[in-house]
Amino acid sequence: MADNFSPDSEPTTRTLLRRVLDTADPRTPRRARSTRSGSHSCWSLHSVQNDLLETPSSRRLRSQTKMTARHRSHTARSVDRLARVQASGHLEEQTPRTLLKNIILTAPESSIVMPEAVVKLVPSPQVVQPSRQESSRGSLELQLPELELPTTLAPGLLAPGRRKQRLRLSEFQQGMDWGHLSKEPRENADASSLTSSLNLTFAVPVQPQSVKRPGLARRPPTRRVVDVGTFLQDLRDSSFSVAPPGESHRTPVATVPTDTVLEDTQPFSQPLADHSPSVHHSLPCPSHSGAKEVEGAARRRTRSSGPGLQNNHSGPGKPAQLLARKVEEVDALAMGFPNTSSISGEDGVEPLQNGVGEEAEESMEESVSVREVEKAAEEQESAKAEEPEGHTEVTEAAGSLGAIEAKEPEGSSEDKDTSASPQLAPSTPEFLQARRLQFPEPAPPPSTAVLPSELPKRLSARIPPRPRIPGSRPRQDPYKAGLNHYAKLFSFYAKMPMEKKAVEMVEKCLDKYFQHLCEDLEVFAAHAGRKTVRPEDLELLLRRQGLVTDRVSLHVLVERHLPLEYRQLLIPCAFSGNSVFPTQ
Amino acid sequence: MAFSTTVSQRKMIRRKAPRGFLKRVFKRQKPQLRLETSSDLLVHLNCLLFVHRLAEESRINACGSKCGVIKKEHVLAAAKVILKKSRG
Repeated sequence: MADNFSPDSEPTTRTLLRRVLDTADPRTPRRARSTRSGSHSCWSLHSVQNDLLETPSSRRLRSQTKMTARHRSHTARSVDRLARVQASGHLEEQTPRTLLKNIILTAPESSIVMPEAVVKLVPSPQVVQPSRQESSRGSLELQLPELELPTTLAPGLLAPGRRKQRLRLSEFQQGMDWGHLSKEPRENADASSLTSSLNLTFAVPVQPQSVKRPGLARRPPTRRVVDVGTFLQDLRDSSFSVAPPGESHRTPVATVPTDTVLEDTQPFSQPLADHSPSVHHSLPCPSHSGAKEVEGAARRRTRSSGPGLQNNHSGPGKPAQLLARKVEEVDALAMGFPNTSSISGEDGVEPLQNGVGEEAEESMEESVSVREVEKAAEEQESAKAEEPEGHTEVTEAAGSLGAIEAKEPEGSSEDKDTSASPQLAPSTPEFLQARRLQFPEPAPPPSTAVLPSELPKRLSARIPPRPRIPGSRPRQDPYKAGLNHYAKLFSFYAKMPMEKKAVEMVEKCLDKYFQHLCEDLEVFAAHAGRKTVRPEDLELLLRRQGLVTDRVSLHVLVERHLPLEYRQLLIPCAFSGNSVFPTQ
Repeated sequence: MAFSTTVSQRKMIRRKAPRGFLKRVFKRQKPQLRLETSSDLLVHLNCLLFVHRLAEESRINACGSKCGVIKKEHVLAAAKVILKKSRG
């Protein structure tokens, strides 16, 4: 029988089992039973060659439990031998304990394939199991792990056979390593440690599976070393950028040129290198004014930046000074609102952080009103937020300043600044972040409210002022657009080139036509005693115009000139279910 | 517009009716009146037919004066006639 097995080059479970079986004493006192099982196993022998993938233990188990024909096909030849060997074992020891153990051990095997088999085969395998197990314990150490482990599987464990096969293989391999030691403790612990064995079996598959299929094993995600500094910067930048998305659109243009101008004019560019960029960027951001304003602001900034740079921490006094300066600047500098506001905002940020109160004050003062300054600061801050600078302090200061200002637009700027400055002064990273978080919240609402009001102002400074007549504007453009639509249709229908004046003429005609149309519809509706113009009125109008005649109906015209979607809406059509759309 | 679609169009012609525009115009002219949804489309149809007739008339006038281009006077003359016709 062993000859049938093709010797594997690698020490597979099959080969090992075979060796064991060959070496084992093929004494089978219980010939009858062994033959019975053996006969069953004989049939399985044929399937052995087919079940090369299955572990011998699994086959054996199946053969044991499968006293039915179905199982036999899977039983391995080793099972046959095993059965004989087992039969030769301690068959006499059929104590309830051993029987119970056998049942527990064998039950899972049967459950592998057929749960019913367990019930049926429990009594039968009992006889075989004890012999087999004991014999295996005694002589077949290698078999033990396979036998016991699979048998230890819970009766209710209907795990797929494949999993068990793998399990057994792993178990077998483990058993190989364990050797004799495992079997005895196992046997004793079978009944009691059923769950533990179950757990073991459950736990085992993880490894073998992973071992078997290394590709499925989870690889530790490769992580790049995180640069804390850049990370913080990005955080702040993103947080700021999120808050004022709208401003970013408007300010980017101004920021670019002003940044360079401002930075170049900075006498203390070096010390400001760390903090100034953000401030500088923030400054130019909102400034929509021309370069002049920017330069003026730069000059001011240079003035204030110098002393401000030296003071990294703005004390409460500084902000007050800055505020005072801001007020002065507001009055002194009659620059464009956006420019002043930008500068003030920027300065407000600087002094708070770098103590560049002078500039901030000046810039703040430049703004015409405190509110403007605040708004500008907010805008600037929001604009600054867009700047991807890692100067959270500056932005925070601006943000906090802006937030505070936004919250108390009526309050005096000084008070706000003073209140803001002390809060900002002890700017710890956490505090800054918290402020930053706060900033986006108040910034967007006030910024959005402020932006629309300020935008036109800035635009006015930039572009030649447009006629600001809200009433007339919608009147002209949409009306013209609508007429344009029909004028294009006119040119299309004409199929001839047209002069521009002709098109204008067409628009005039259309205007007159609409007037006539409305009057007619009013008359028709009034004639029908209605105040709502209905399609019947329109049909009457078409009829009076001579477009709809007895020969040409309205529906014909609708079908001719209107697209399908409108056709469906106008012409009632019958649908399934005795329904008509549109309803009459 | 079955026949129109087959005609090659050099420009993009919007087939959608400017319903908002029409409604606004009507409201501006007659704020006391209300316009129904379906009648909105019929108004558009009416405009289309008016423009169509106007264009035809203008083309006839231009061709009558042996002009390859439609001129202002052609349109003006055509408008006089067509507006009279569509007076209802």
